[in-house]
Amino acid sequence: MLVEVENLSKTFDDFHAVDNVSFGIERGEIIGMLGPNGAGKTTTIHMILGLITPTSGRISIFGKSMATHRGEILEKMNFTSPYVAFPFRLTVLENLLVFARIYNLKKPRARIDELLERFGITKLRDKAIARLSSGENTRVGLCKAFMNDPELLLLDEPTAYLDPEVAWQVKNALLEAQREKGTTILYTSHNMAEVERMCKRIVFLHHGKVIAVGSPIEITQSLLDEEREEPALEEVFLRVVKGKAA
Amino acid sequence: MKLHRINAVIVRHIYESRRNFDRVVDMIWWPVLDIVMWGFFTVYLSHSNRLQPTVVSCLLGGIILWGTFYSFQRDMAVGFIDELWCRNLINLFSTPLTLAEYMAGLLTVCLLKVMVGLVAASAIAWAAYSFDIVPWLPNFIPYMANLLFFALALGIAITGMIFRYTTKIQALAWGFAGLLMPVSCVMYPMSSLPKWLQDIAWVMPTAHSFEGMRQVLDGKGFSPLHFWWGVGLNVVYFAVAIVFFGWIYEKARNRGLLVKQE
Repeated sequence: MLVEVENLSKTFDDFHAVDNVSFGIERGEIIGMLGPNGAGKTTTIHMILGLITPTSGRISIFGKSMATHRGEILEKMNFTSPYVAFPFRLTVLENLLVFARIYNLKKPRARIDELLERFGITKLRDKAIARLSSGENTRVGLCKAFMNDPELLLLDEPTAYLDPEVAWQVKNALLEAQREKGTTILYTSHNMAEVERMCKRIVFLHHGKVIAVGSPIEITQSLLDEEREEPALEEVFLRVVKGKAA
Repeated sequence: MKLHRINAVIVRHIYESRRNFDRVVDMIWWPVLDIVMWGFFTVYLSHSNRLQPTVVSCLLGGIILWGTFYSFQRDMAVGFIDELWCRNLINLFSTPLTLAEYMAGLLTVCLLKVMVGLVAASAIAWAAYSFDIVPWLPNFIPYMANLLFFALALGIAITGMIFRYTTKIQALAWGFAGLLMPVSCVMYPMSSLPKWLQDIAWVMPTAHSFEGMRQVLDGKGFSPLHFWWGVGLNVVYFAVAIVFFGWIYEKARNRGLLVKQE
């Protein structure tokens, strides 16, 4: 296992944001993390990144404990979310150069040009972040996320602000990275069709607990408690939200 | 600590200073404005033969040194608040960048900015008011180092509080140093304070630096007493600031405040 999360819990005062969550991620896998708002997805990701200290439980990545080897682990992983931002007065290039320095890249400008092209934003290179649309900002975040060629990528709703064409482009870039470089990806999204297409396996969270783990069809059958031939994650999602899941 | 990551933080803040007019104003405008205004005041006092020339030098020297202290402390805190304002904290701290590296980078940038302000204010004091700080520098530098050391301790403590209470307490970044000004004896000797305030002033490294500066300008030479008092107090305050910062940072991580971004 590349990532092992064991009995992870996070309590804020008397609110259980994440409650005894356990799951693993195999190397080279794209795993989806689903759940309604407030299910604990983002808190789990933030604990995996070491930004929030867990109340209890253990996170191990690349065979090392996150609690004791955070810096070493973060060298080989990356993260993005459309809900975080960049210094808005700096240009796209300047922002990415800062991260290129953090990862000590040998040819930062060449790498940045390559990433800008991959995500279709070469023309924004010298534009200030403040002048970008939400979708363009999201793509700058993806460039940042791929900067160090990570072995593990945590993506919190990476296609949230993207139009269908760009979202398709991004999904292809992710699948290509997984296929060609064996990048392991943990992916959260509210777009069920996207998750069905991208992920072989899903962790379904609700009220901070894991309520199902498996392939999209396994999740569908388990939470709807009926035989289905095709995954129906949207239906599952709605049933879970309404409290009618099995 | 990795040099390339410290360098990344330096570059990030240099880019910001280049593109943010507020930072230019902070760096040059205020130190220059202070020295211009106080300079005219000293011209008025000296023309009317109300004061000895050393008092005029003490006022101008005090303004320049206080500007150095205040700018450094403010820039440390504001540099960090900038990351909160632009919701960049998660981006930064989801990389291998450590807090110590971030602070080291920020400290270097603040030193560079303070030097720019110091040079600008000193140049104006020399050109407009015939106050040349250069011959005094060998004796002033140890006191200035103490001022910066104390500003660093304060900057670390205030940054820690911002981690915990976020932008709700951002006014501290600009206002906290001002709170210390009366007991720092910038413009007047410690003996002018009431006895109970003198006791407080004695535990202020800033007050020892300004007392020392006045002794130098009075021709009494460098005061090891005030210098070493300043060093001793700074060591204590710096240690307290580091422990406080570590404790409050862990508390902020525990409460999930690092990702709150507001």
